[in-house]
Amino acid sequence: MAMVSLAKPDNEKRNARRRPVLSRDFVSILPALLLVLVFFVAPVLALLSRSVTEPVFGLQNYIALLGSSTYLKIFFNTFFVSVLVTVISLVIGFPVAWTLAIMPQRWAMVVFAIVLLSMWTNLLARTYAWMVLLQRTGVINKTLMGMGVIDQPLTMVNNLIGVTIGMTYIMLPFIVIPLYGVIRKIDPAILQAAALCGATRFQSLRLVLLPLAAPGMIAGALMVFVMSLGYFVTPSLLGGTANMMLAELIAQFVQSLVNWGMGGAAALVLLVVTLSLYALQLRLFGLAGGERT
Amino acid sequence: MLLNFNSLGIWKWALLTITVLTAAFLLMPILFIAALSFGSSQWLIFPPPSWTLKWYGALLSDPRWLEAAWTSFRIALIVTFFSVLIGLVASFGLVRGRFMGRSTLRALFMTPMILPVVVLAVALYAFFLRIGLNGTTTGFVIAHLIVALPFSILALTGALEGFDKSIEDAAVLCGASPLRAKLQITLPCISHGLFSAAIFSFLTSWDEVVLAIFMASPTLQTLPVKIWATLRQDLTPVIAAASTLLIIVTVLLMLIAAAVKKGLKA
Repeated sequence: MAMVSLAKPDNEKRNARRRPVLSRDFVSILPALLLVLVFFVAPVLALLSRSVTEPVFGLQNYIALLGSSTYLKIFFNTFFVSVLVTVISLVIGFPVAWTLAIMPQRWAMVVFAIVLLSMWTNLLARTYAWMVLLQRTGVINKTLMGMGVIDQPLTMVNNLIGVTIGMTYIMLPFIVIPLYGVIRKIDPAILQAAALCGATRFQSLRLVLLPLAAPGMIAGALMVFVMSLGYFVTPSLLGGTANMMLAELIAQFVQSLVNWGMGGAAALVLLVVTLSLYALQLRLFGLAGGERT
Repeated sequence: MLLNFNSLGIWKWALLTITVLTAAFLLMPILFIAALSFGSSQWLIFPPPSWTLKWYGALLSDPRWLEAAWTSFRIALIVTFFSVLIGLVASFGLVRGRFMGRSTLRALFMTPMILPVVVLAVALYAFFLRIGLNGTTTGFVIAHLIVALPFSILALTGALEGFDKSIEDAAVLCGASPLRAKLQITLPCISHGLFSAAIFSFLTSWDEVVLAIFMASPTLQTLPVKIWATLRQDLTPVIAAASTLLIIVTVLLMLIAAAVKKGLKA
C-alpha cells in the first residue's frame, strides 16, 4: 500500500501532508482500534510470551512439546485430519460447484439454499446430529447392517473417522461457494473453442477447466485447511479424548492442567502455521482471496 | 463443451448425481434432528416408534434452558448494538480517511476472523481472570464483539464504498450539518450494509461456542454452552428439540435477509 500512496497524483499528496496527524477520520477508527489492541492483540501476545517465561525463562516448553511422542501424535492427528478433510471437500466440492454454475437457475437456487442452510445451522446442532447418526446403534450402522453390507456395527465415533466426516460436512460449503463464483466467471467460449479444436471432454476438463478453476481450488483448499487445523468443537465431541487435536490440547493445557507455559507454546505453534498459510494465500491471490481470480 | 449443461452427455448425469447426493448429505442431519426432536424414543431410535412433544415440554419448562437462551439473546443484542456502532464509525474512517497505514489497519481488523478462535479464547480467559471479568456479561460481550466486529466492518466498508459521497456533500451544500447529512442521507442509503452487519453480528454471538465455553461460569452460560455441557454427558433428545428451535431461528433470519435483499433490488 505504501507503494500505491507514493504513486498518487501530486496535489493529493500535498493535501494529505497538510492534514493533521490525528485527522477526524483517524479518530473515528480509535474505538475499534482500542478494542482490538486491548482485548485481542495484547492478550494474545501476553499468552504467547508466557510460553517462554513460565515456569522459568527459556525454551523448555517448546522442547517438551516437540520432544514428546504424545504431543507429536496430536500434531500428526491434526495435520492428517486437516489434509483428509481438505482433499475430500475438494473432490466433492469441485463437481458440485461446477454443476451449480451451469445447471438451470431454479434448481441451482434450491441446492444453494441447502448449502447455505447447512452452513448457517448452529455448529453444535450439526455436530450433535453426526454424533447420533454415527453411533453404534445409529441410523447409518442400522441401515448398512439391514442391507447386509456389514455384520458388525462400524465404530465411527470417538475416532478420527467421525471427526473427518463431521468436519467435511462443515467445510464443504467453504469450498463450494467460492469455487462456484470462480467457475461462473470462466467464459464458456473458451471450452467451446477447446471442443471445436477436437479436444475430448476429458482433455477439456484436464487441460482447460481444471487449470482455469485451479486458483479458486487452491484458495478454498488453503482456507479449509487452516480452519481445520484450529478446529475445536467438532474434534472434541466426535473424536473423544484418545484422538485429540491441537486446539483441544491448547484448551486442555489451560483448563485442566493450568499449565500456561505449555498452552502458550501450543498456541504459538498453531498461530505460526495459520499465519504463514494465510501469508501464502495473500501472496498468491491478494486480499480478495479466490473470488477475484 | 463442459460449461453448457445440455451438451454434457453422460457427464451431465454423473455431475447431477454427485450434486444431488451432496445436497442430501448436507440436508440429512438437519432433517434428522428435526424428526428426532418429535420422536418418543429416549434412545433416539429412528424412525421413532411414536411422535411426541415431550422433549419440547422438558426444554421449555426447565428454567436453566430458558435462562441460557435469555442470556444468549441479551448478549447477542448488546454485541450487535456495539458491533454495528463501532463498525460504522470505523468504516467511515477506513473508507474516507487518507492517513497512512489504512490498509494495514483494515487487515488488523480482519485478523480475529482468521485467527483460530481457541487461541483468542485462551488468551482472553487469562486476561479476564486477571482483571476479574470472567463469568460476567461484560466479559462475554467483549469476547463476542472481537469476533463480530470484522463482519460489521466488512459489510459496512463495502456498503460505504458503493455509496456516492457527492450526495452527502450536496446535502451539506444545501445547508444540512455534516452529522445531519450522514444521519438522514448516508445511513438510509447504506441500510442494507447496516442490516447485514447487524444480522452477522447477532448470529456470530448467538451461535458462538468456543469463546463462550471459556467465558462461562456456573451461574452465567449461553445456550451453546448449555448444549455443550449437556452433550458431554449424554445425547438426550432434549438437545434435538433445542437444536430444532435454533435451526428455526436461523431459517427465519435467512428468509428475512433474503427478503430484504430482494426488496432492495426491486
